[in-house]
Amino acid sequence: METLLQLVITGILVGSIYALVALGWTIIYKCSGVLNLAMGELTLLGAYVCLAFYTWGFPFPVALLATLIVGFILGLLTERLFLRRMIGEPILAVIMVTAGLSFFFRAVVGFIWGTDTRVFTPQVFPTEPVRFGRMVLGQVYIWSFLAALVLLVVFVAFFQYSRWGLSMQAAADDEMAALSLGVSVKRVYALAWAIAFMAAGVGGTLLGNINGLNISVGYLGILVLPAVVLGGLNSVPGAIVGGITIGILQNLSGGYLEQLTPGGVKDIAPFVFMVIIMLFRPYGLWGWEKIERV
Amino acid sequence: MYLPSGVYHEAYRADHAWWQTTFVRAKMAFLVLFLIVGLPLAGNYPLSVANIIGYTILSALGVQLLIGYTGQITLGHAAFIAVGGYATAIGILQYGLPYPVSMALGAILAGLWSVLFGLPSARVKGFYLIMTTMAAQFVTVDFIITNYVSRVGGRGQSFSLPPGTITVGPWVIDTELKVYYLMIGLVILCTTGMANLLRTRVGRAWIAIRDNDIAAEMMGVNVVRYKLLAFFVAGVLGGIAGGFWISSLYVVSPDHFQFSWSVWLVGVILIGGVGSLHGVIFGSIFVTVLLERLQAAVIPLSDAFPALSTGFLYIKEGVFGLAIVLFLLYEPRGLAYRWHQLKNYFNLWPFAY
Repeated sequence: METLLQLVITGILVGSIYALVALGWTIIYKCSGVLNLAMGELTLLGAYVCLAFYTWGFPFPVALLATLIVGFILGLLTERLFLRRMIGEPILAVIMVTAGLSFFFRAVVGFIWGTDTRVFTPQVFPTEPVRFGRMVLGQVYIWSFLAALVLLVVFVAFFQYSRWGLSMQAAADDEMAALSLGVSVKRVYALAWAIAFMAAGVGGTLLGNINGLNISVGYLGILVLPAVVLGGLNSVPGAIVGGITIGILQNLSGGYLEQLTPGGVKDIAPFVFMVIIMLFRPYGLWGWEKIERV
Repeated sequence: MYLPSGVYHEAYRADHAWWQTTFVRAKMAFLVLFLIVGLPLAGNYPLSVANIIGYTILSALGVQLLIGYTGQITLGHAAFIAVGGYATAIGILQYGLPYPVSMALGAILAGLWSVLFGLPSARVKGFYLIMTTMAAQFVTVDFIITNYVSRVGGRGQSFSLPPGTITVGPWVIDTELKVYYLMIGLVILCTTGMANLLRTRVGRAWIAIRDNDIAAEMMGVNVVRYKLLAFFVAGVLGGIAGGFWISSLYVVSPDHFQFSWSVWLVGVILIGGVGSLHGVIFGSIFVTVLLERLQAAVIPLSDAFPALSTGFLYIKEGVFGLAIVLFLLYEPRGLAYRWHQLKNYFNLWPFAY
C-alpha cells in the first residue's frame, strides 16, 4: 500500500510536467491543426537554453524567464519560416515538416551540447528529501510540480481571460467566423507555436533537473502523444488529465511490471495503453467526436 | 505516355509491355550493363555506397506501398525490417537454415507481424494510424527485440555474425562485391514484383483506397482485406530488406532499427516523390549520395574544426531534416515529378508543348 501511494504520488508529480508539454502540443493542434512530432526536440532546446543561461551564472528564475523569452522568439520564427507555408497541405506533408524539424533541432542540440549527460550545477533545488509520514519525496519533484502547476494555471487563465487567449479560442472554434470578426488567424498560429515552445522549454528544464539533461529528454515528446490521445487531441483539460495519467501509469508499470520482465516496460506501457484507448475510444476523454470510419 | 510516330500495337500484350520502343530497350540494357559490369569496376567505396542505397530502396519500397499507394501513413516500418533481420539471423545461427530459406521465412514472419499492427487500420486512420504504427515500433524494437529476442541463446544485447555465416548456395557473401550482387538481385526482384503487382487488380484496389476509401468500398473493394494485404506485402518487403542488411553487418543490434530510421524512410520517399516507384529509387540515391558527399566535404575541414568530425552524425541528421523540410516547401511532389517533367521536355523539344 505504501509503495502504491508513493508510486502514484511520484507519478502525479512527474505527470504534471508531461501535462505541461501535452498542453503545448494541444494548443498547436487546436489552433492550427498541425500534428507536431517535434515536441520532444522543443523540450530539448528549451532545457539546454536554460542550462546555458544557468551555467553562465544567472539565478535559476532569471534563466527560466530567459528561456521563456527565447522559446517565444523561436516559436514565432519556426511558425513563420516553416509552418505558415504548410497551411492547407495534406496531413502527411505537415507531419513530415515537423518530423524534419525534429531531426534538425535534435541535430542542433547534439552538435552544440554533445551527448554527455549534464546536470544543473550548483543544484537548483535542495537535495534534502521531504517526508510525509513514511513517504519520501525528493524536493525537486515537489518544486517541479509547483512550477508546472503555476504555468498550467497561467496558460489556462491566459486562454480564458486575455484578449489574445480569447481570439485563440475563437480561431480554434471556427476559423472563418474568427477571421470575419477581425481576429488575425496568422497571429493566432504564431502565438500557438510560441506558447508550445515556452511550455516545452519549461517542461524540459524541470525534467532535466530531476534526471539530468541529455538527448534522451527528447523522448518526452513521444511520450506526450499517448497523453494527448487519451485527452482527445484538442482538449486542454484533456491534455492535463492525460499527462498526469500517463505519469501515474508509467510509474505503476515501472513499479509492478518491471520485475516480471527483463526491463523496458516503463517506456512502452504508455503506448500499449494508447493503442487500447484508440481501439475503444479514439476521441479520447473530451475530444471532438468526429472520427471517420471505413 | 509518348510514343514516336509509327509505333503502334496490334495486341494488348504489346500495348501493356514495359518497354515498347527500341530506344527504351537500349536504355534499359545500358542500365543493366552499367549496374552489373560498370559499377563493380569502380572500386570498393562506390560499391559500399551502392549497398546502402540498395538497402534504403528495399526498406523504402514497403513504406511507399503503404503511404504512396494505399494511403496508410506508417512511422513504424523499421520494426518490420528488424523482425526480418532478426528472424533471418536466428534462422541461420540457431537452426542452421540456409540463408535464402531463412530470409524467406523472415520475410513472411515480418509480413504477419505487420498485419498484426495493421489491424487497427480497420478502425482508425490518419493521425491515429500513425500513432499505432509508432506503437508498433516501440513495442517491437524497444521492448520485444531489445529485451527478449536479443537474449535468445544466451546472447547479450546483440547477435554477432561471424564472417562466412551468410552463404547463398556455394557462395559465401563476404565482400562488398558479393553483397552488391545480392543487393542488385533483390532490388530488381522486389521493384519489378511491386511494379507488376501495382498494375493488377490488387494494385488498382490499393490506389482506389488511397484516393477515396469510401468510394472504393462502394465499388466493391473489400477495404479492410486490401489494407491488410498492403500491410502484409509491405512487411514482407521490409523483412527482405532486413534479411539483406544483415549480410553486410557483423553484428545485429536493436540500434540498427530505431524510430529515427522509420522517419528517415518516410523522408526518403517524400524527397523522391510519394506515389511513384521512381521516387523510391531517386530518393534513396539522392539522400545517400548527398550524405556521402557531405562527409567527403566535411573531412578536409575537420583538421581546422575538430567539432565537425565528432559531431558529424548530428550534421548528417540536421541536413537530412532540413532537406525534408525544404523539399516539402519547395518541391512537394519530389524528384520523380521533376524527372517526369524533364523527360517530357526532351520528348517535345524543341517545342514548348
